[in-house]
Order: sequence, then C-alpha cells, then structure tokens
Amino acid sequence: MSRFSRELTVAGALGLLLLILAVFAPNFYHLQPFISRLTSQMPALVAAVGIALVIISRQIDISIGAQLSMCAIIASVAAGSGLPLGAVILTSMGAGVLMGALNGVLVAWVGLPSIVVTLATMVAWQETLRLWQQGRMLALPEGIQWFGLSQAAGQTAVISVSLTIVIAAAWAMKNLALGRFIYAVGSDAEAARLAGIDPRRTTFGVFVLMGVLAGLAAVLNLVQSPQVQPNCGDGLELKAIAAAVVGGVAINGGRGTLWGVLLGLLLLANVNPALTHFHLPPYWEKAIQGLVILLAVLADGLGRRKRPR
Amino acid sequence: MVLLLVIVLEVILFNSLGRRFLSGGNISNVFRHSVEIGLLALAMTPVILTGGIDLSVGSMMGLSAVLFGMMVNSFGVDPWLAGLAAIGFGALGGGLNALLITRLNLPPLIVTLGTFSLFRGLAEALTKGAESYSAFPKSFLALGNSDVAGLPAQIWVFLMVAAGIWLLVHRTTFGRSFRAIGYSAEGACYAGIPVARNTSLAYIIAGAVAGLAAVILVARLGEARANAGIGYELLAVTAVVLGGVSIFGGSGTVSGTLLGWVSLAMLNNGLTRISDYRIMDQTVASVARELSGLLTGLLLLAALAIGAWTKNLATRRARGQSHPENPPRSSPP
Repeated sequence: MSRFSRELTVAGALGLLLLILAVFAPNFYHLQPFISRLTSQMPALVAAVGIALVIISRQIDISIGAQLSMCAIIASVAAGSGLPLGAVILTSMGAGVLMGALNGVLVAWVGLPSIVVTLATMVAWQETLRLWQQGRMLALPEGIQWFGLSQAAGQTAVISVSLTIVIAAAWAMKNLALGRFIYAVGSDAEAARLAGIDPRRTTFGVFVLMGVLAGLAAVLNLVQSPQVQPNCGDGLELKAIAAAVVGGVAINGGRGTLWGVLLGLLLLANVNPALTHFHLPPYWEKAIQGLVILLAVLADGLGRRKRPR
Repeated sequence: MVLLLVIVLEVILFNSLGRRFLSGGNISNVFRHSVEIGLLALAMTPVILTGGIDLSVGSMMGLSAVLFGMMVNSFGVDPWLAGLAAIGFGALGGGLNALLITRLNLPPLIVTLGTFSLFRGLAEALTKGAESYSAFPKSFLALGNSDVAGLPAQIWVFLMVAAGIWLLVHRTTFGRSFRAIGYSAEGACYAGIPVARNTSLAYIIAGAVAGLAAVILVARLGEARANAGIGYELLAVTAVVLGGVSIFGGSGTVSGTLLGWVSLAMLNNGLTRISDYRIMDQTVASVARELSGLLTGLLLLAALAIGAWTKNLATRRARGQSHPENPPRSSPP
C-alpha cells in the first residue's frame, strides 16, 4: 500500500489543482491553449525522465540545462547547413551523448562527485555558448518547425514522442537488466558490485542516457518555434530535478518511479498557470519552485524518519 | 606548495604579457574586486570540511543585498545597522539550511539547491524582478571604494574574517570536529562530538558571511539588486577545491583556500589585462575575458581530477594492490 503512496498523493494534489482551476478559472481548459501549454512542457518531461534515472542511480546532473542549450544550438547549426530533419535529430542526440559521456567518465571512472563535475561542465557549456553565439538567436530553416507538419500535427507528435519515452523508460526500469541495475547501484553500490553488477559501467551508462534524452528534449524544444535562443535550456535542471523529487524519486537513490515523475512534472507545470489565473505576479515563480523542492525533500525526509531503519 | 608555484607563474606570465599587472594599483584592484568571492570561499571551507556543500551562498547574497537596500532606502535604517541585519538574515538563511540538513538528515546538495532557488526567487519577488536600490550615503560607499592604511577598505574586513575562520578551523575543537565529521560522521558521533550542532554552525557561518559579502558588494557597486552574486557559489567552490580541501570532506586548510582564491583572482584579472596580442581579428583581451568563465570550469575539473588521481595512487600504494576500491560517497549517511 505504501509503495505508491507518493504517486497517489501527487495525483491527488494534481487532481485538486485541476478541479480548483475548473471551478474558478474554466477558461484554463480552452483546448488550444491547453494543448500548447502541455506541448511546451514536453521537453522538460523528457529531461525529467533522464534526471530521474540519474537520481535513482544516486547521482545528480545539474548540467542538463546547458546540455540542452548546446544540443539545440548544434542542431540548429546543422539544420542551417542543410541537413535533413532526421540527421538534425541524430546530430542533437549525438552531441548529447558526447556531453553525457564526459560527465560519465569523470564521475564513474575518475571517481569525482557528480555535483562538482556537472557544476563545472554546466559552466563550461554555458560559457562555450556565450563565446560562440554571443547571445544571438538562430533562425531555423523551413521544414524544421513542427517537423514540417501542421501545428496541430506537430503538437501531437511532440506529446506522443514524450509520452512514449515515459512509457518505454517505465517499462525498461521494471523489466530490463539495465533498469534493475540502476535501482541496485542506487540503493547500494557495494552490494550491487558483490552481486556482479559493475557500478561504474551502470553509472556511465546513466549519464550517457541522460545526454541522449537531453539531445531529444532539445529537438522537441527546437521544433516549437521558428528560432532558437542559446540560453533556451536555462533553469531546466531545477525544473527537472523538482519534478523528479516531487514525484517521489528518493534523492538518496534506489527508489522512485517514472509515473511519479510524470505526475510531479504535471503538478509543477500547472502551478504557474494557476498562479497567473489567480493574478499572482510571475516573478514569484522561482521562489515557489524552490519552496516546492524543499517541501518535497522535507516530505521525503519525514517519511524516511517514520519507517524503521 | 604547488599553488604557490602556480601563483608565481601567473604573476610572471601576466606581468610579461599584459600591461601594469604588477603595479600596486592593479594588485589592490585584484583584491578589491574579488573580496566577495574570497569571503564565500572562506565560509564554504568549514562546510566542505564537514563533507557538505552550500550552493545557496550566491543566492543568499542576492537576498541579503535586496533586504539591505530595502532597509536603507525604503525604511531609512542606518546603513551600518542594516549591514548587521543583513548578516543576521544571512545567518537565518544558513540556519534554515542547517535545520533541514542536520535535523531531518536531508542531503546538503538538494537542500541548498532548493534554497538556491528559494533565496534568489525571494530576492526577485521583493524587487518585482526589476527594481534596484542605489541611494546610499557616501560614508557607507567608502567601505567598497576607499583605501584604509594603503589597502582597500574591504580587505581589512576580509582579513578579520579570514583570521576568525582560521582560528575556528585550526585552533578550536569546533574545527577539529568539522574534519572528524567530514571524515566519518558516524565515527564522530561515537567519539562524542555533537555532530548536528557543529555541522549547523558551519552552515550558519556560511550564511552570515554571505550576508557580509552582500553588504560589501553593495558598497563597492553602489547598487543593491536581486542578481547580486549570481554564479559566485561556483567560484567559491572552485577556490576551496583548488586550495586542496577534499570535496568529500575531512581534510583541508584555510590557508589552502586562501591560496586557491588568490590564484583564481589573479587568473581572472590577468586574462583581462593581456591586450597586446591578436587572434582572429579580436584582441586577445576580449577573448580572454570571455574565456575566464570557461577556464574556471576547466580549472576546477583539473584540480578535482588531480586530487582524485593522487588519492588513488596513495591508497593503492598504501594497500599495495593494483585495484583501487570505489572512492567514498560525498553524501553523508
């Protein structure tokens, strides 16, 4: 029963929020803006899936926002040079793999703490972008926005790709060896090693996977507008980590489901629109995000306290 | 030792490449502009010694700066009194971190990531995202812009804080306990050290010093804004780690942190002074200035990698075996 308690709580909170909005601000549910809002959250959802895997394996990656910006800019440069859409997507994911692999090597094989490694790579990518693009926006060629489809079809495509990722990852975490390895390494790396799992390879794999998903999220972000900003990923790391933690992923590793992450993201994503519907000024956004993270870890800590060790 | 060498090399290199690097004016400039980061690095040292980290110090600076500016400009509080209050607010913020970390056993990383967002967000909310405060009396601005006895005024404050932290870390039982906790929190607990209380102290000091750094920054810039101190936490962590403090906790010295800070400050200042050379149409100076952030990140990674590598070598030699174990975790039990 207590296994899915967090997921149920978050689902309840989300339901309550949606109900309040339905009663007091019914135009929240006008179809077109509702779909648009949902679509704009999908890159964060894909990134949150990645960060959930990282946190379950008891690491952290705060460079994902900078990774997403990097991938988006590299992909748009590739698109500008005339590559077809498929190649652009592969380029973006390839760039993500390289950046994830760098984090992975430093954390898994050199043995550095992931927080410092990803803090340093975050700054390195941000500064590279600043040096390279000087804050310029890049215009995208025809046929990239909404994958060259109509807007409605494009939005459907973005949402269905993202949900497919969530479902596939949730299935893989339960049924594939790598998924079980991630849980095992996250709950006790030494025990996992004695059980014949190589924690270093698992950790490395998780960071590479994070890079792939950051590259994919960059594409999903890219196709939503006619131009790209070099800082499009700023703040993504906090949003994704918050979604994962709120969704019940234990920050000490080894515990959490991707369904929780999905619910957590939807809850957080609807807090801000709800605030604007109730006329709270938008500059409270960051403070409330921080508060939600703290409340979620607090719930985690209190929950852990009650359970016998 | 290595760091001293790095500093000497930096001085020689920048002095031969740039103009007037070694002039008295520039040297005092180097220190005037990096006092805030130095303060944060000093404050971060006890925290990292206990095996924790505080990512919220930069945001705490922003919040303290805004509260300070508000008190002075909107409520007419005396700036020195408001400065003390800003330090108090910093200590309160540090206390919040300490409460969550030590009483509820939450990982410092996530707690301070949350307060990192919370403090900055509060600062932005209080200023409605755009307002800033800039009406400060001249006598207060002198703290940031004048010289006292031949040195920038804020250097004297910095030296006092440095002496205080040095005494705390190296000459008191608190300091010993920080290292004991960082080495093994459980062991420290069995040795009768009040782990929660002493760890709390480290975070509260970090918050208070961040508040002080905010006041000094406002005095230097003459303006209090919500974006004060963005990115400073990284620079502070870099200085501490460069100075040889183990990021896993348990070992390190205050003098190491100071050396790390000096080498970092000189790197940033020296890069902006190389101006006689040209690469690809741009003066090296403009490239170098933009490179300094990137170089800071790379420097941090290199320092960490070298640290981990020598540690690996040492344990391998001590054990006399060829297969090193996984290093200890950074998060406390």
